[in-house]
Amino acid sequence: MPHFFLHIDDGTQRIEDEEGSELPSVEAAREEALGSARQLWAAAILRQQDIGSRRFVIASGNGDVADIDDALPRSLLDRLKMQSRP
Amino acid sequence: MDFNNRLLRALSPADQDVLRPHLRWSELERGTVLVSPNEPITHVWFPESGLTSIIAMAGSDQGIEVGLAGRDGLVGMPLLLDADRTPHRIFIQVSGAAYSIDGTLFRTLLDDHAGIRKLLLRYVQAYSTQTTYTALSNGMHTVEERLARWLLMSHDRQDDDEIPLTHDFLALMLGVRRPSVTIALHSLEGLGFIKATRGLIVVRKREELEEFAGAGYGVPEAEYERLIGQLR
Repeated sequence: MPHFFLHIDDGTQRIEDEEGSELPSVEAAREEALGSARQLWAAAILRQQDIGSRRFVIASGNGDVADIDDALPRSLLDRLKMQSRP
Repeated sequence: MDFNNRLLRALSPADQDVLRPHLRWSELERGTVLVSPNEPITHVWFPESGLTSIIAMAGSDQGIEVGLAGRDGLVGMPLLLDADRTPHRIFIQVSGAAYSIDGTLFRTLLDDHAGIRKLLLRYVQAYSTQTTYTALSNGMHTVEERLARWLLMSHDRQDDDEIPLTHDFLALMLGVRRPSVTIALHSLEGLGFIKATRGLIVVRKREELEEFAGAGYGVPEAEYERLIGQLR
C-alpha cells in the first residue's frame, strides 16, 4: 500500500508529518485529510480560533500531490467568522 | 528476584514469597496482545517495564484507550474481580518485560492470602480513578491538554525522558485522527515542553507540562500514592 504524508501548511510554515500513513489511494489520503480538517476545525471553533489559513498538503513518496482547502463549506466558515466578531 | 513493579514491591516480604516461585519472566514486544476481547484470560501480568494499553473496542478494528498500566499495575484485572474475561483489548504499547502467573493459580492464591488480595483490590480502586479521569479529560479537555496528560502518565511509568511512540499510536490513545496529534505535538513543542522527532517524544519541562495538563493530571496519581505507595 502506498505511503502518504499529510503536511499542514499555515502560509508561513509547514508542520511536517514525519511518519505518514499507509493508505490505498490518493482519494483515500484526501478523505483522511478532509476528516482531519473537520476535526481540527471543530476544536478551533470551540476556541474561537480561525485556522482558515491552514492547508493540508498531501504528499506521496514522489512529492506533493494535492492541496486540501474545502473541508467545510465556505459559507459556513464565513458565518462563523461573522459571529465571532464583537 | 528484585521487583520493579510497584505492586509486587508494595507486598509484604511474606506475600512476595508466596508469589515468587510462580512468577515467570518474559520480554514483551510492542504490539503483543495480552488480552483479547471476550476470550478467557489465561494469565496475570505484572509489568516491570514498558506500557500496556487497555482499549474499549468500537467494532472489531476501532477503539479508544481507556486505561494505561505499566510498572504501577497489572494486566488481567478481571481475574481479581471474579470474572474470566473482558470486552476490552489489552496490548503492549511500549516494549518491556513482565512477570506473569497462571490465572487459575492466581485466583487460588488470592483466596488464601488476604494481604495480596487487599493490596490488589486497592490497585483496582486506583486504576478506576484513572479511567474516570480519562473520561473527564476526553469530555472536557482539548487534544493538546489530553496529549500532555497522556505523556505525563507515560513518563511516570518509566525511568528516562524518552517516550518511544508513533503518531499512529498516539492517535489511537487519544481517539483522534493522526494530523490532530501532529498539530498537538507541534503546539507542545512550540511551548518548549517536549521535543518530538520521528517515533520518539522527549519530555523537556515536566512541571510546565503538568500545569498545562490541568485537572486531568494529578488526582489519580495522588490516589495511587495514597492507596499503594510511590508511583514514579
